Amino acid sequence: MTAQIQLFGAKKRARVRPVWDEEPSIPTKILKGLFLAVYAGAILVPIWAVVATSLASEEALTRAGGDLVLLPSDISLQAYREILSGGAVTASLLFTMLLTAIGTAVSLVLTVGAAYGLSRPGTLWHSKILTAVLVTLLFAPGMYPSYLVVQKLGLLNNMWALILPVCFSAWNLIVLRTFFMTSIPGDLIDAAKIDGAGEFTILFRIVLAMSKAILAVIGLFYAVGYWNTYFLGVLYTPGMDVKPIQVLIQQWLLASSGPTGQDAAAAAAISSGMENAPAASLKMAAVVCTIIPIVIMYPFIQRHFTKAVITGAVKG
Amino acid sequence: MMLRSSRAASTLEAEAAPGDDARPDASRSPSSRTRTRRAKAGSTAHGSEGAGTIPRRRIPLRGRLRRDWPLLLLVLPALLQLAFFFYLPSAFSVIAFMDYSPYRPFWENPIIGFTYFQMLFQDPYFVGALINTLQFAGAQLLFVFPFSIMLALVVHGIMSTVLRSTFQSIVYLPYFFSWVLVVTIFLQVLGQDGLLSRWLVGIGAERLQIMNDPDTFMILAWMQWTWKDAGWGMIIFLAALAAINPSLYEAAAADGANRWQRLWHITLPGIRPVIVLLLILQLGGILTVGFEQYQLQRQAVGWGTAEVLDTFVYYRTILASNGESIGTAAGLFKGVIGLLLILAANNVAHRLGEQGVYQRS
Repeated sequence: MTAQIQLFGAKKRARVRPVWDEEPSIPTKILKGLFLAVYAGAILVPIWAVVATSLASEEALTRAGGDLVLLPSDISLQAYREILSGGAVTASLLFTMLLTAIGTAVSLVLTVGAAYGLSRPGTLWHSKILTAVLVTLLFAPGMYPSYLVVQKLGLLNNMWALILPVCFSAWNLIVLRTFFMTSIPGDLIDAAKIDGAGEFTILFRIVLAMSKAILAVIGLFYAVGYWNTYFLGVLYTPGMDVKPIQVLIQQWLLASSGPTGQDAAAAAAISSGMENAPAASLKMAAVVCTIIPIVIMYPFIQRHFTKAVITGAVKG
Repeated sequence: MMLRSSRAASTLEAEAAPGDDARPDASRSPSSRTRTRRAKAGSTAHGSEGAGTIPRRRIPLRGRLRRDWPLLLLVLPALLQLAFFFYLPSAFSVIAFMDYSPYRPFWENPIIGFTYFQMLFQDPYFVGALINTLQFAGAQLLFVFPFSIMLALVVHGIMSTVLRSTFQSIVYLPYFFSWVLVVTIFLQVLGQDGLLSRWLVGIGAERLQIMNDPDTFMILAWMQWTWKDAGWGMIIFLAALAAINPSLYEAAAADGANRWQRLWHITLPGIRPVIVLLLILQLGGILTVGFEQYQLQRQAVGWGTAEVLDTFVYYRTILASNGESIGTAAGLFKGVIGLLLILAANNVAHRLGEQGVYQRS
């Protein structure tokens, strides 16, 4: 059921235009350059505008005459000071960090255990268990039955409702299991067994020690997922006082700006006690705080993700 | 039987064969890896185990348990997770066939058959959500997917390594943003009071209404998909492009094929398996266009425009009362159609000689 595409020959070649390839014409070059520049700009400029606004002072915003600036005339960190000094946003950021840390740990334990446990064809019930795991890729249970289970387990409005239902992904299992089966020499494991090592010693001392890079990537993918928790927050924990940061941003920035101005009270509650910075800067500062962890993790993921994506096949 | 198959042969195909491959060697045997390999070699013979093979003496269950218990213990947490959050909810889908009320004990809910499915298809809200879902999925398939291929072709043509990796770093980034962030950022730029509107007002034009205009929501959704996912979508095509043998291009160029002919006759056939694979996956998920993007913008563009199957179920069952059975029916319909589509698309791919998502075992 894993994708059977063989792309591992894809190496980074030194890029020199081969002799048989004619140089593209000048208009083609300009057109391509323009296309790439516009596309990259369409991604970077909005992100920059958010960052710039979060740093703008009251005067800079007034002078620009609006809620969003590209080049603030003077810089102020007041908005960050306000949202990080212990209000609803601080609590939410801390909660989401905790959620991400615990969730990622749980996910990694489950995925590593399952991937190693299923990496030895021929062991007891191996193919039965593998089938039971892979079937989950073909079908998705409905929203209400899942909700019912969470409700019956008494997890509604509990942090674990944001972790347990999503902590294990069969796609990541495939990636890791494929790695265990193809990149860790079987002879090494045989040798360890001859020396009297048990399965747990082999797993911790040999297999995991050799899989640090791929574990980091899988862990980071899980972590990004937990950090971006929104749907589960809306579905399972609508009554929690401290909300995942994405839910908070939705309530503060999106729900209140709709045509009906609904949930204005919730939005006002979030920003209560933050009077010394302009509202636009405060909101954008919260957005930047949500982006920063992603941007920090990003270089680590990026180094490895092409390989991980291809091994695990293309996730829908 | 003593053949040593190479480790590379360990595809799922081999392992999906019956699991009683244990050989009668002692449980403490140092060569359990070798046994595994033999087991694989044996089981690749596609179910021909019955007649021609040597009858095997099986290790008693207790012996295998004693040997394999650490592995089973390691899989157990994941199996429990699946039992509780996949198999149990899947079993609860039976609610779709019940006249269900959450205020009765579960077993006292009467089974009434397909009534709720009939109601579903007479429900204009459900039909509307289904049509919207298909439209969104179709648009993704038609506009985002080819855009990723085009992007990959252009990026593949960049000769400077620095320029290329910089560009890649930029366009992959939004993939990791949540939909909340994407919609927020779009609102800041394209909203009524956003950056572009202000500039338009400055030059004497009208404000942009695209963030809350139901008629152009499809265009907005397309821009958001492209912004968030098109860059990421190109990764797999870039890898496929890099795997095409350059001597093919050289030979074609020597035969006088121009740039477009090489694109048509070498590049596109070279990435065809990947295109087919992605198309299958996309078809399988055609009823799953996501929840967050639509739920987040539902209020702004009006619920009728942004209603998809997932939001329909959410607003009908979780937020309303008495919708449990009909919502479950909608969810089950979606799950079953998705399952059938994956199986069918994969079957078609096999017939076309492509590899598809999984191999038949």
